[in-house]
Amino acid sequence: MVEFVYSNVEKEMAAYGYDAVTHSHCRMCHGGCGVLVYTRNGKVEKIAGDPESPIGHGTLCSKGLASAQLAYHPDRLQYPVKRVGPKGSGQWQRISWDEALDTIAEKMLGYKERFGAESVVLGYGTGRENEAAIYRFANLFGTPNVLTAGHLCYGPRISTGIITCGSNPIVDYENKPRCVMAWGNNLVIANSDEYKGEDLSVCLDSGSKLIVVDPRLTRLAARADIWLQLRPGTDAALALGMLNTIIGEELYDKDFVENYVHGWEPFVARVREYPVDRVAAITWIPAAKIRAAARLFATTKPAGIQWGVAIEQQINCADNNRLLLALMGITGNIDRQGGQVLFKTPKINNVGKFGAHDKLPPEQVVKRLGGDRFRLAGHFAIVNPKCVWDAVVTGEPYPVKMMFFISSNPVMTRANANAVYEALEKVEFMAVADFFITPTAELADIVLPAATWLEMDYIGDFWKRHGYILPRRKVVQIGECRSDHEMLNDLAHRVGQGEHWWDDFEQGLDYILEPMGIKWQEFKKMKYARGEVSYEKHKTRGFSTPTRKFELYSTLLEQWGYDPLPTYREPVESPISTPERYAEYPYILVTGARSPGYFHTENRQLPNLRELQPDPFLEIHPDTARKHGIGNGDWVLIESPRGRVRQRAKLFGGIDPRVVGAQHAWWYPDKNVKGQGWNESNINVLTEDSYESCDPAMGANSVRTLLCRISRDSDQRGKGRGDAA
Amino acid sequence: MKRLAVIVDHEACWGCLACEVACKQENNADVGIKFIDVLEEPVRERNGKPHFSFNVNLCRHAECDGAPCVAVCPTDAIELREDGIVVMNIDDCVGCDLCIPECPFAAIVFNHQRSVTQKCNLCSHRVDRGLIPACADNICLAHCIYFGDPEEIRPRIEAMRRVRDRM
Repeated sequence: MVEFVYSNVEKEMAAYGYDAVTHSHCRMCHGGCGVLVYTRNGKVEKIAGDPESPIGHGTLCSKGLASAQLAYHPDRLQYPVKRVGPKGSGQWQRISWDEALDTIAEKMLGYKERFGAESVVLGYGTGRENEAAIYRFANLFGTPNVLTAGHLCYGPRISTGIITCGSNPIVDYENKPRCVMAWGNNLVIANSDEYKGEDLSVCLDSGSKLIVVDPRLTRLAARADIWLQLRPGTDAALALGMLNTIIGEELYDKDFVENYVHGWEPFVARVREYPVDRVAAITWIPAAKIRAAARLFATTKPAGIQWGVAIEQQINCADNNRLLLALMGITGNIDRQGGQVLFKTPKINNVGKFGAHDKLPPEQVVKRLGGDRFRLAGHFAIVNPKCVWDAVVTGEPYPVKMMFFISSNPVMTRANANAVYEALEKVEFMAVADFFITPTAELADIVLPAATWLEMDYIGDFWKRHGYILPRRKVVQIGECRSDHEMLNDLAHRVGQGEHWWDDFEQGLDYILEPMGIKWQEFKKMKYARGEVSYEKHKTRGFSTPTRKFELYSTLLEQWGYDPLPTYREPVESPISTPERYAEYPYILVTGARSPGYFHTENRQLPNLRELQPDPFLEIHPDTARKHGIGNGDWVLIESPRGRVRQRAKLFGGIDPRVVGAQHAWWYPDKNVKGQGWNESNINVLTEDSYESCDPAMGANSVRTLLCRISRDSDQRGKGRGDAA
Repeated sequence: MKRLAVIVDHEACWGCLACEVACKQENNADVGIKFIDVLEEPVRERNGKPHFSFNVNLCRHAECDGAPCVAVCPTDAIELREDGIVVMNIDDCVGCDLCIPECPFAAIVFNHQRSVTQKCNLCSHRVDRGLIPACADNICLAHCIYFGDPEEIRPRIEAMRRVRDRM
């Protein structure tokens, strides 16, 4: 067993002469690890992991360790500004918070009066623990349009989890599954969502079996008992093939299937359409390997699937998730100790309640952009981005006049970046709250200075499914920066929804905690709170679905006009679906593999993180690189029918010669020019956002499965940090 | 005599680079200067399967046989302490870089901004106050960075390997 070595807080304090240490909860990603923040003379001096935290257990990633460089970055926006030149001119004037919020409120109310509340769109990027406050504000304002990453990130897990079994099942690492199948997820680098890489690492160090499904040889894949290197975008077919083996060889949990499943027979009929030999041809994986993985997963108990965002950024988004849910379910691992659990949060006013979804009038709900097209997404208050861009540019189905992005950089993160840029240039009024003037913020009318996690009180992990909530304690105040929650609380009063908010946002935290019978000041003194831990709850009360069963056959999708059974669709662009395009663009492009230090568009400004990897890289198999005369480290042009960007070649034997892998969300804050290089390496210049290319139920974009061509850039300038050589 | 070193179980490393950033935060080394460096090994075949791993490179201290950098330094800027830590004092370094080719592990780097050579000092300023070097102080998610007497650490790494490989 690993013997963990804990930081010695007393000796640290004495050795460095720190004045104080604060136990808090990092949010350099979605929220997560317990941290110790050491301060001297009111300034953050050092950040370390908190060994007493149940999340991370004292370990901390590169991002968390660099948090002070974010908080004290010289380029950070520290007061509100308004734009005084044309969009993108970089001409800003300092204004007061009152002027900024009054202007935003006046614009919002004006558009609401003239064009309806739906003409105002609020947006956030990946979850930054502000989502409940943003939905609360939007719902009370009356707009059904909150533009998030939810259509292609985590939202699909939540919505497919809910329609199948009532929640999003997560791996119970605390009870050490004996087999983990990591599917489209590199947890040890990404530290995604509920649990962190450390949980998986410790589990594997105890001897658990490992299956990895990934087109790239990650270190996880290198350590796997079985690595399934699939053709990108064929996850659904692979899952159907594994299900075929498990059902055909009767390796499933018969008691679970007989008593707790809805739609077994039609589901089996669908699975039988995918014999393993057919699946092998689709996925490029030998049939024997598919069968071996299916057997290992089905016969090693308990087992869990560590699923990730990669399977959601495809046309098969919802069905990929539903098929993995099916694998969890029929093997008897759902809500089983050490398997795939449905944990409960403590008794609090949860994200849904706080989000005030019941306050949005029904006549506004039906106006949700894209709600009639992407009906699974619409049901969960999720909007496909193109629906918003189209409404801005064409005024159809109604005009969108104002956008307010809070911790979001859609120019970098949404599909078909050129179309995004055009819409943001065109929208009448735009406000942004962020740490820096990002390429998105450059196009805003007003930019508000957002607080980092070091500058706020909050209830961390409030939205997650592991059942913990943890106090994030404010350590410092920097400039005039405000947390998104405080900012919205203030703005709410200015747009006439003050009665639903508070004099001070601390009372909002009290409201969240109210059912527990405590206030923030008491919770602040606690290490954490956890919901009641119980397993196999379906045995007494069924699942929280219309049939009270685990719905392999979804009655809700059927009601909304979709195929109730999961299926496999060929990727929108592929050697098979678009052979003519493949002749011109002869490589499959996967995007968005995580690398240490960066969180989507963030952290390129932080010296200790940028140093880890100064430039974006494109993974290319050495044989492929040789064919194009590309050497390791060369700048490479990557082209799709939508556009062209460049990244540097990383010759990598762990990727199929027919596939290349690009990084996402790269811009160059160190380039002191308009746009900050937003379209130089931004892989979303290449991605497609047409409605036909999206998952029909969820509206997820196919940003990870497209076709491209590559060539060595004739201009090799720009070595290091994106500067001209 | 006490012997101290940081020993890494390379097979357990995930390549997350947290150790590099923890070192930076502690020692504030200039951009481009790494006292601990996580290197990705090229993909090769192992047991019939494609494989790669990481190699975490830093000064071996007590583990470096004879510590040849010490003897070659003309200004006695490098000292082998009784506890096995090899400390390089950059105030005494004249930047002759004679130590660099002597190092069997390529763990000494030349800092062009300051015209001195630098390497890991095993956070001796922390060790002298009863603390653990920054990289080894439980930040590593793989728990693969060990600090202490190499003779005691090696059997622990071997035991871990046996469980991990299900032997």
